[in-house]
Amino acid sequence: MSMEKTLDKALLSDWIAAVTSGGWQVHGPALEDGIWTFKPVAASVDLDYPNVKQAPKDFAFPQREIFFAFEHIKGEAPRLKEVKPEAPQCAVFGVRPCDGRGAVRMDKVFSDNVNDPYYQERRKNTAYVGLACNAPPSPTCFCKSVGGSPVSSEGMDILLTDLGEIYIAQAATKTGEALMAAADKLFGKMGAADKKQLDKVHADAVAAPQRAVKDAKGAPAALKAGFDSAVWEEMAKPCIGCGICTFLCPTCHCFDINDEMTGMSPLKGQRVRTWDNCQFPDFTMHTSGHNPRETLGTRLRQRVSHKFRYFHENFGMLQCTGCGRCVSECPVGIDIVAVVNKVAEHVA
Amino acid sequence: MINVQDIRDTARDLLAKGEVRAVIGWRAGSRGMAAEPCVVTKPEEADSLVWDPTCYHNLALQLVNDRKDLVHSKKTATAPIGIVAKGCDARAIVVLLQEHYFKREDVYIIGVSCENSGVLDERKVKAQVGGFAPSAAAFDGDNFSVKTAKGDKKLAGREVMADRCLECRTPFPKENNTAFGDDKTGREFDAQFAALARFEANDEAARWEFWQRQFDRCIRCFACRSVCPMCFCDECVVDSIEMKIAPETTAEEKANRIRWIERSAVRSENATYHMTRALHLAGRCVDCGECERVCPVNIPLRLLNTKMEREAREAFGFDPGASIGGPSLVASFRDDDPGEFIR
Amino acid sequence: MSEQTYEPKIVAFLCKWCSSAGSDLAGVSRIQYPANATPIQVPCSGSVSPMYILSALKKGADGVLVSGCHIGDCHYLEGNYLARRKLHLVKELLQFVGIEENRFRMSWVSAAEGAKFAEVVKEFVDDLRPMGPQEKLKAKRA
Repeated sequence: MSMEKTLDKALLSDWIAAVTSGGWQVHGPALEDGIWTFKPVAASVDLDYPNVKQAPKDFAFPQREIFFAFEHIKGEAPRLKEVKPEAPQCAVFGVRPCDGRGAVRMDKVFSDNVNDPYYQERRKNTAYVGLACNAPPSPTCFCKSVGGSPVSSEGMDILLTDLGEIYIAQAATKTGEALMAAADKLFGKMGAADKKQLDKVHADAVAAPQRAVKDAKGAPAALKAGFDSAVWEEMAKPCIGCGICTFLCPTCHCFDINDEMTGMSPLKGQRVRTWDNCQFPDFTMHTSGHNPRETLGTRLRQRVSHKFRYFHENFGMLQCTGCGRCVSECPVGIDIVAVVNKVAEHVA
Repeated sequence: MINVQDIRDTARDLLAKGEVRAVIGWRAGSRGMAAEPCVVTKPEEADSLVWDPTCYHNLALQLVNDRKDLVHSKKTATAPIGIVAKGCDARAIVVLLQEHYFKREDVYIIGVSCENSGVLDERKVKAQVGGFAPSAAAFDGDNFSVKTAKGDKKLAGREVMADRCLECRTPFPKENNTAFGDDKTGREFDAQFAALARFEANDEAARWEFWQRQFDRCIRCFACRSVCPMCFCDECVVDSIEMKIAPETTAEEKANRIRWIERSAVRSENATYHMTRALHLAGRCVDCGECERVCPVNIPLRLLNTKMEREAREAFGFDPGASIGGPSLVASFRDDDPGEFIR
Repeated sequence: MSEQTYEPKIVAFLCKWCSSAGSDLAGVSRIQYPANATPIQVPCSGSVSPMYILSALKKGADGVLVSGCHIGDCHYLEGNYLARRKLHLVKELLQFVGIEENRFRMSWVSAAEGAKFAEVVKEFVDDLRPMGPQEKLKAKRA
């Protein structure tokens, strides 16, 4: 880390003000109607919170994105009008390490082999100011076993660590350095004592017990071997086929493209991208009416295999970051940790 | 208090004698305290069944899924299917029977009474135990006991019970083949429709301010629909997957395809979805409260459904889930139905 | 849109056996009434799905009218009884979420009641005009 400094907690609001006047829209965790969400911050923000209910992937990948508008007058060539994303610069404060690592995986999908201008336009205008987890924010956390860490700065522009009275701010990117430089005088030098305390907090966080995928490294091979296993249908038995697991997930990125009509004569409307969901029955429905993933077991297999096998085959890393949302929020208790462990057990 | 072993023994017996081909019930979950729905098919698995205040799920949904599996795989059932059912589960089964979704003899209902208790509301529990989610929960007369990392704790029933249970009048599954626990029908913890009445005291502007916030927040994960035993349509009005596209299908035909509700999770579409669902459940919803429990963004869906329930009761004298033989709410009428609003 | 030029748009679902003929009668009798209603003929008021009403509001209708045969006069014997019950629930639900009571209206108008049809539409328009455009349920599309 090139830039490591201390920030008095009382000065957080001044820093946010400085970032705001630098042209950034600052977002931070807010409790609204009983759920934590990232909301635009007016003055200051309390970073003492567990984690947001829904992963912050929508900053770069909103649930609804308009691609272009069209109009087709009979007998004439269809007219298209490109719609560029309105992407203000957003600095998101309080992103947890699992979600930072989620952003890295989303980048792979939308920037590695493809060029998705909508995503990239939004992504380059988004900065993540992460917050290390001194203690696991939820009993369903399992980031360590999937290669992450509660203090990881992967995907972050800055990582904050709470040391009680102060934060340690560690810049991880040029953008992060610039955000700190914007209010240079607010930050203090990190002394040896601070460093020692930081290392201790980080070491304790890493040592805190978590649930675990038993053999994450072996998961891609195990899932490949267990593709036809009967355990999929068995484990999916209580599944209700809703979209909670995927919509809350920091790395689920499947989408659907539809034309939303605004007029019928002439034909007029817009083409929009919306999140889609491999657990819905129409996700793989063919135009013929055939559905290759008709059962809930095949859909559960798809989601778990995407996280722990296919993504690994494509990008060399597990897609799951262990945030535990799909585990804690599943209405019927389907548990991705238990599922991966069970499949591995069956093929062993 | 129900001895869970009685439920297990009954299930084992039924399976062993071949009187049922499976028993739908709850087993311990792998994360935290919550039980999870399960389908037991072998007598020796019957001991995995549990009965505790985390048996939230309306298992009638599993009956619907079982029926769908049979129909889709073109199989005929070899024997009835058994199901462990709470009061609300049994009411849902009654509505399904009323709608001829399956026949009474297709189901063997092992009723369990919630007696003077009900299921927990995890949000309330978490608030009470201060962030340390319990690892197990049990009935304790009118109250609950939970195991947490900091040791065992007793929780007052009224404080942590789900709202739906506080308002419930029929904790005993009246429709059953065999039942355990005392019949406490008519018990009253909280006035029925209390939350509804409080909300309705708001004026029109405040009501819309409230609901637009809820509709804006919806992410359209459809958990409310998926978890509902009454939402059994093979194709929901929001899915619109019925249109088959052929090479000769024109752009106009595709554009004119009826889409009542677009996929975009925006206010207008979300509002239409939730209101349509409420209307489709009018006279069918048994207030099991599952839709509200599973909503990841805390939309108070019970308000919409209980509004319809109270309206059906007050305007039309209709009580959903009360009897198998009766007509459905919107396929029947009375000469003296209110009509003053019509010009 | 300014106060003066705002004209409420009404979608009117009219039973073909009565109200639709009633609207024709209003026309051929040269009864003057506002032209704000777009009629959609339906086989029976009982065939009007709540979805039609929500959909009309979503597509930007300022008001929705459902008009059928008087009780006892249904061509299909009980369609209007069913409509009365079903649409009572729609009316209640709309008000419950905070939609103005006057956005939705129902009437019984027979084929002989051209004057009544004109009156129903006129009253509806008079009630809708001061409320301004219906924005609550209208889809906002760029």
